[in-house]
Amino acid sequence: MPELMDPLAFRTALETAIKGKSANTSPFSIAWAQGKLSRAHLARWAENHYHYVGPFASYLGYVYGRLPEEFTEAKDFLLSNMYEEEIGGDRHTDLLIRFAESCGTTAERVKNPDNMSATTRGLQSWCYSIAMREDPIVAIAGLVVGLESQVPSIYRRQTPTLREKYGFTDQEVEFFDIHIVSDEIHGERGYQIVLAHAKTVEMQQRCLKICEIGAEMRLLYTTALYRDYVESDLPMRELDLAA
Amino acid sequence: MPRVLFHKQGEVFSGEVAEQTNLVVRAGIRQFPYPHLTYGCGMGKCGKCACRVLAGAEHLPAPNWKETERLAGKIEDGYRLVCQLWVSHDIELAQDAPVAATAMKGA
Repeated sequence: MPELMDPLAFRTALETAIKGKSANTSPFSIAWAQGKLSRAHLARWAENHYHYVGPFASYLGYVYGRLPEEFTEAKDFLLSNMYEEEIGGDRHTDLLIRFAESCGTTAERVKNPDNMSATTRGLQSWCYSIAMREDPIVAIAGLVVGLESQVPSIYRRQTPTLREKYGFTDQEVEFFDIHIVSDEIHGERGYQIVLAHAKTVEMQQRCLKICEIGAEMRLLYTTALYRDYVESDLPMRELDLAA
Repeated sequence: MPRVLFHKQGEVFSGEVAEQTNLVVRAGIRQFPYPHLTYGCGMGKCGKCACRVLAGAEHLPAPNWKETERLAGKIEDGYRLVCQLWVSHDIELAQDAPVAATAMKGA
């Protein structure tokens, strides 16, 4: 039977739950890091990624509305997270579109939901589903700890490659730079909220499970990008999977 | 561990941070230099986190394109955007009062 964990042990358990299914291990991420994707592949990524991250403030908006009034700090965190995604500086999706355009696609194509794969639609639906239906603290664990907190490590690995191996300019890859800072804040604050409010064995186990599923969903999404758009040009044998 | 000295409105605050620390991220998660460091967008656009580097500038990389664009003539005076810096050595920073900070280009 699981026991109630202290904050340190619980945090380690959350990190372990995510790590096993990190999206860094997907063939798409590996090909990206090795500089083996074409601009057309990256354009397809952007056209899909828009529909996963574009509604992030909307996902959090549902969680915000369902958090009890007395969870002031958690509510404030969600509000600032939404603000930063949308209007704190440049709208994050505008920067994603700028990157997409530099890959040869258009804003119109990026915004068109017909251009996302079924798996991306599945990830987006899962995000909406847990935002609307899960206990709000469990939803924060899934969306912020399980998904958003992974972003800095992914982009820290991918951004230098975009400049050095793919030849993008600093302006073109700004979408990735901002996420290294903002998602570190968001991910860490998400941890703080989950650690503070998951105070029973049942809640801790639910948070661990949703983190595991969230990481799995992102891995599924990233792996599908490889299958749907890359594999025919770049088979697995051409990837150095030990990298 | 890098030691950070932070001057603001006549007071000096100090703390130690891990290597490769972004001070805006730290403030964002409510750790030193929170609540003293003023910041905004965290993406090099609003300029609210601008600080003058009093010591330790030699360990920092050259200002990036966002700092060059945002800080314009202030870089020569030692200003940097703290959201764009990852600190790995001791550093001493001074942040102007909010009114002075917002007087910068485009604010």
